Formats: sequence, C-alpha cells, structure tokens
Amino acid sequence: MPWTEKYTPQRIAEVVGQKKAVDQFLTWLKSWKPGKKAALFHGPAGTGKTALVEALGKEKNLEIIELNASDYRSASQIKEVIGQSTKQKSLFKKGKIFFIDEIDGLAGKEDRGGVGEIIKIIKESQYPIILTANNPWNVKLRSLRAYCQLIQFGKVFYWDVIKKLQYICENEKIKCDKEILKQIAKRSEGDLRSAINDLETLTRDKKEITLKDLDSLGNREREMNIFDVLKIIFKTKTAISAKLSIQNLDKDPDEIFLWIEQNIINEYEKPEEIAKAYEMLSRADLFKNRIKIRQDWKFEKYMIDLMTAGVALSKKEMYRKFSRYQYPDRISFLGRTKAKRAEDKEKLIELSKKLHCSTKKIREEFLPFFNELL
Amino acid sequence: MPEFEVWAEKYRPKSLKDVINQKHVTERLEAFVKDKNIPHCLFAGSAGTGKTTCALSMAHDLYGGQWRANILETNASDERGIDVIRHKIKDFSRMKAIGNVPYKLVILDEADALTRDAQQALRRTMENFTRTTRFILICNYSSKIIDPIQSRCSIFRFRSLSEKDQEKFIERIVKEEKLKISSDGIKALITLAEGDLRRVANLLQASSSLKKNITEDVVYEAASRAKPKDVEEMLKIVMKGSFKDARKKLHEMLLIQGLSAEDIIKEIHQQIYNLEIPEEDKIKLIDKTGEYDFRISEGGSNLIQLESLLAQFFLFSKKK
Repeated sequence: MPWTEKYTPQRIAEVVGQKKAVDQFLTWLKSWKPGKKAALFHGPAGTGKTALVEALGKEKNLEIIELNASDYRSASQIKEVIGQSTKQKSLFKKGKIFFIDEIDGLAGKEDRGGVGEIIKIIKESQYPIILTANNPWNVKLRSLRAYCQLIQFGKVFYWDVIKKLQYICENEKIKCDKEILKQIAKRSEGDLRSAINDLETLTRDKKEITLKDLDSLGNREREMNIFDVLKIIFKTKTAISAKLSIQNLDKDPDEIFLWIEQNIINEYEKPEEIAKAYEMLSRADLFKNRIKIRQDWKFEKYMIDLMTAGVALSKKEMYRKFSRYQYPDRISFLGRTKAKRAEDKEKLIELSKKLHCSTKKIREEFLPFFNELL
Repeated sequence: MPEFEVWAEKYRPKSLKDVINQKHVTERLEAFVKDKNIPHCLFAGSAGTGKTTCALSMAHDLYGGQWRANILETNASDERGIDVIRHKIKDFSRMKAIGNVPYKLVILDEADALTRDAQQALRRTMENFTRTTRFILICNYSSKIIDPIQSRCSIFRFRSLSEKDQEKFIERIVKEEKLKISSDGIKALITLAEGDLRRVANLLQASSSLKKNITEDVVYEAASRAKPKDVEEMLKIVMKGSFKDARKKLHEMLLIQGLSAEDIIKEIHQQIYNLEIPEEDKIKLIDKTGEYDFRISEGGSNLIQLESLLAQFFLFSKKK
C-alpha cells in the first residue's frame, strides 16, 4: 500500500493543517437538511480535500458514493450513478454522502448537461453532497456556485508537513535527519501528498536517508506559466515536447488555444508558416466542436496535438529572437465591448419587433441604408 | 426632430386586399379569413415578395383591433433552438384565443433557420394544439422544412414581382413623400433591388436622403454607400502583405460590428475575382474558401476559421 494511502487520516481530527476548513465543514454538515447547499471544497492539489471526505466516512460510518470526474462526465451518466440513489437508503451503513471529485474537470458548458444535472441532484438529494475543485472560480462553474457553500483549503503549512513526515519516519523506523525533511517539505510547496510520495521514493530500499539522496528526486513541475508554454511551442522542433508542454499548465485547453492563436503572428513571419499554423488551428477547432456536439472527450487529444505540435512544426527554422507574447485579443476585446454589444443587441431586438424581421435581416437589409440617417 | 420612419414598414400593406401581385395567394387567404378557419400554412418565396406582409395582414383582417394579443411572431433566425419551440411557442399555443376567433396564430418567420431538432419538436406542437393555435411558417425555400411539417401545411408559393408592380409601388411612395424621380432612376431602383420590395423601399429612402430629385446617379450613389466595404478592404490589406492588420479588421467585423461569418465568407468569395493575382491563384483561393465555408458549417468557430482562411490568402500575397 502506498504511504499516501496508508497514512491517510482515519479520523477527522487527523486531517493535517486545515483547521479552519474542517470547522467550516462540520458546521455545514450539522446544519445540513435536504434542499440545502452542497459543500464545495476548493484548493490546490494535495491539501486534504479528498482525505477529509474519506475520514468523515470512516469516522461516522457513512457510505460514500463517489463520482470521479475523469470517468463520468455527461448528464446521463451522472444521473445513472448518483441520481438513482439519492432517494434510496443505504444498505449497510448509517447514511450516505455523495462525493463528486474534481468538478472542474467534469464541468463542461451548461449545454453539455453535467453541471445542470449536478444542480438538479443538489436540489433533490436526501443526502449531503460534497464537491471538490482546484479552481472554483472557473467560469464553467458559475451557475453551480450559487448552489454551493465554498470551503477553502489552503496550502499545508510548512511545519505541519514536517510534523507529518516525522511521524511517518518514526512509524516506519527510518532514520532521517530533520534537515532532509525540511528540504522535502520545502519542495512540496504545501502539497502534503507529494511530500509523502517523495519521502517514500527516497526510502524505497533503505532505512536511512542522507542529504545526497535528495538529488535523485526529479523536480516536480509546478504550475507552468502560459508564457513558458508558448515559448516551448513556438521554439521547439519536436512534436512531443510541444504536446507535453501544456501538461503542467493550469489552464483548460480552450483557453490555451486562444493564447496560441493570438501569438502565432508574434512569432512566425513567413506567410507559409502562418498559413500552415492557422490551418492546424482550424483543424483543431473542428475537433473541439466534435467534442462538444458528441460529448465525446476522446477527440480532445487530437485537438491538443494539432494546436500544440501542429503549430510548433509549422515553422521551418526556430526564430532566434525574443518574442513578446500577448494576452488573447478575443478575451480582452469581448470584455471591453460587452456593454456596447449588449446595448446594440437590445436596439436590434427593438427594431426587429417594429419591422417584423430578424435582427440578422435588420443588420443586412436596413442598417446599411440608414446608418447615416440614424 | 421628427420621428424617423422606415418606409419599408410605413408602406407595408395592412390588409390582404392591398398586397401587390400575389392574387393567387391572397384570394385563398381571404377565403380562409371569411370562414374564420385557417389551416397551418407554409409561405415560401424569395425575399421581399410579401410573405410576412400576408401573414400580418391576415392577422389584421382576422382579429381586427385585437390582432396583437392573438398572434405570436417569432423569428427563427434569432431564436432557432429547440428551447423556443418547447417553451415560448408551447406556452403561447396552449392558451385560448381572445375574441370571437377560436384560435390564435403563431407566425414563425425565417423558419428555414430552425434546426432539424427544433423542427421535429415543432411537428408535435402543431398537432397537439390545433384546437387553440394555427401556424404560419415563412421561409425562402420550402425544401429546408422537413417533410412531416410540409405535409401538415397548405403551401403557398410567392411569385417574384414584375417590373410593373415594382414601378407602381415606387410611384406610390414617391407621391406620398412628395419626391421627384426620373424614369432612369426608377429603372436603377428596379435593377438593384432584384424584385425585393423591401430593398426597393430602403434604397428609395436612402436615395431621398441624398437628394429630393432622384436620378439614376443618386440611386447608384446610395447603393454604393450602403455596400459594406470592410471585406474588400480586409482582402486588400492582406494581399498587400500585412496579415496582422487584416486580422485586426476581421476581429472588428466579427466582434464589434457583429457581422455573421456566413456573410463575410460570401463577400470574400465574390471579391476573389477582383484581386490582382494570377488567374490560377484565384481558383486555388476559391477552393480554399469553399473548404473553410464547409468547416464553418460543420460547426467550426467563426473567428478561427475565418482567420485561418485569411492566412491562406496571405500565402498568395505580395510579401511572398
């Protein structure tokens, strides 16, 4: 059994370094009645979100019905797994908790149905529901947030990580200098799970570790910055490194797509390269739409490969220059002109009622003639 | 400032008997009104021939002063999804009519823009609420309406208007608005409007704002002012070798002006012939344009696909 599992909290009190979140959660749980809000745990990876739920199940003898977002995504599947049992009593345990993990991975646009289905379940469920997300402010979760109480999990405090590691060492009878544990804790940047994983890797076949052993640990790549990613994509000549570049980036592929699109012209100069890169994006875009209409995520890999590796290999030679990459026009543009567009749209709708035709017709058939008059 | 009035609306006939040159249609519609019994109808025909006008006139003649309360006018091109059918139309259909006509009218304009799913949903609604509601579907091509709906409707085809009819219409407006127009001015209007009365009215109004004495030149001037030049300009920029600026222009059209990709690509296609590039390159670009047009209809994003098309034009630019 991996240590992360072996040393996972058995009781709520054992959850490390999240006192505030745990208190908030227990208050929520105590006052929970059918129809009330769900709890949404949010925070970085490895801070104990899932661990708290599991500890709760063990301590209070509750059945936990888990929906892992990477397996089930569509509305009908959510319904199948959770919808049915929202009203049934648990067979062997005292009660139930519904637990939907990694909700930011699950949520598509509303029309993909996942979010809507979860909201429905929250409204109808006879049992409490807990959701987790890394980033609860993701636009996709906007409609869902109204139905959730947000409970924040912070990074685990440095000394708390060290304390837990010390406890494990004692238990496993490992001799280990405190300095080493400090190093491990520091590297983990508040991610307790990764700290425990590192400790286990280091002590795989020995009972004593030294500072030198630390070198064998590969650097865990933390959140890459979008600018680093763009640099890789636009400078590399190998498909695989372009493709892998976005793996550690905490942005969804749709947004990365926009960043790449914006910056093709900031890097490439030759018409053939620009045309080819855009052709790749055009094809990626088609796969993006196929994901949407078929709710089939298997197409995502093609979209990602085309927009990263496809664009990377559109150049003949690497440009030995410094390129200033820009924020996507489309996002800033749409934000800036939002009010004006809404106003225009309203006027068009008003006109469309008066003139008995669609806004499209107004735009095409009337406005060109009257622009100077109005 | 006097209230701005759109002539196309001002001179829209209010009653079936005033509708121009669709006798074969209006006679039968008048009979429906007399019996106070209207079947589901499908009006098909090209733009500006009187389809919407007939539907509205029929509502006028049928309900008199209460016509507004008894009709639902929706535009499928603005509300094309299945939700409109399921909610808006269904909610309206299930309620009883006001007054002495036993049912209400749903006028579904530009029905060819309805998705197939929406049309399927509509089919059930039409059947279920026949007792309280009748439908008038309006479209350019009846072939875009699914068979089961066509078979539930009486189909009326609207003819294109003859030059004589258009002339009469023009003279009526000229008289009412106290304008002067030369005979070549009338001819120019008719040539440019291509049988579309709405365009006749708009073009005439735009011309009149330039000069009260309308001649051929005035009409052409008004028409050329109304012609969108952005696409032409965008292509000029990209062919000069500045993809960045052309892309900016495209963003402006799509994101600020809100033009549809469909119209932009249509215009691009027309403009290819005017480009100063070798003839065989034009053919290659037309092929490309078709391909991207297809990708958009397959569901590709407007902006990405058009940008990508623009990048293909860039390949044939002076920079190369």
